[in-house]
Amino acid sequence: MNIPRYILPLLIAAALFGGYALRAAFTHPSSSVQFSANGSKKVTCIVDGIRCKGTSDFFIRLYSKTPGIAHIETYATEHKAIIKYDPNLITPNQIRSVMEAQIPLRDGTSRQVFFCQSMK
Amino acid sequence: MKKTILRNRLFRYGILTVVLVLVVRLSLGFGQRSFENFCPFGGMESLWGLITTKEFSCSLGPLNLSILIAVLILAIIAKKAFCGWACPIGFLSELAGRLGGLIWKKRPRPDPKVNRAAKLLRYVVLVAALYFTYKAGELILRGYDPYFLIFSRFGHGSLGTVSWIVLGALLVGAFAVPMFFCRYLCPLSATFDPFARLGVIKVVRNEHKCTDCGLCEKACPHDIAPQKMIKVVHHDCTNCLECVDVCPVKGALELKATL
Repeated sequence: MNIPRYILPLLIAAALFGGYALRAAFTHPSSSVQFSANGSKKVTCIVDGIRCKGTSDFFIRLYSKTPGIAHIETYATEHKAIIKYDPNLITPNQIRSVMEAQIPLRDGTSRQVFFCQSMK
Repeated sequence: MKKTILRNRLFRYGILTVVLVLVVRLSLGFGQRSFENFCPFGGMESLWGLITTKEFSCSLGPLNLSILIAVLILAIIAKKAFCGWACPIGFLSELAGRLGGLIWKKRPRPDPKVNRAAKLLRYVVLVAALYFTYKAGELILRGYDPYFLIFSRFGHGSLGTVSWIVLGALLVGAFAVPMFFCRYLCPLSATFDPFARLGVIKVVRNEHKCTDCGLCEKACPHDIAPQKMIKVVHHDCTNCLECVDVCPVKGALELKATL
């Protein structure tokens, strides 16, 4: 059967889009911690600074003593964090302030490690 | 005839340019993902880590694996069409080869035996890339990878002067031998090889119409000789269709779906 040449780029586009759609099958959180069961609301943040397992764990540690945070999941490859929280105790703006706070370093200085690019 | 060749080549180059622009766009920070997440070979590199620790190596992600699976299926359907129609490094290699063609009056063709032996190098690169990545748990060969070096603009992981020398050598190689990197060094090409042999969509020669003029072999960037085959089952064929375009007899070479 003869095949017209435009079939080739169409097949490639289908493969790439198919591959893109298939990625969800292999996506799992880099880190996930449950602090409490009172998370009735959720925000999804794209965070510059979440890059690997180490930075994912570090990100979660920032919230370990923050009241109102119920559950955090981070996805290093997507630079994403999903945070469940109790709206009576904390607001999305306060969540943002915690992640964008200056973090003290070992050499005595401090630096902002995470930048929230978007929050939904 | 020349117009048709040019039009068909421009069609393929247009698609490759779109892919190149998209990768450049990602590399400049537009979009949520890194350009590295779209490299199918990243899927190969992350396999061992995924099996042993259920973690992707740093900089790699689920998209690398899913795209790898998709392009391997594509290879079973359309051979190495991904290399000829979508790979930005293949495109840059081909452009460098064409520039080289303008410089050389008559480009020396590599001796077939040397060519065949040198192609085994890509399997060595494949094994080395997987071994060192699995052993180190991260992409320590980035400094030698043209895809990373070009699009990250020698970013974190490049080896400074060594990386420049590697890239320079690949460029000189591409001027001298068309598709130098793809032929001899690309580990993704080595990964595709067993799948590409099965490729259903391939160039088929009609031996009654073929005049054995050899133009197809001269046009092939991989030095494949379609005039010596009935079906181009060669694992290096990227279905770029340069051979079909230069063929002076209509219907002597055609793209067909056949086992």
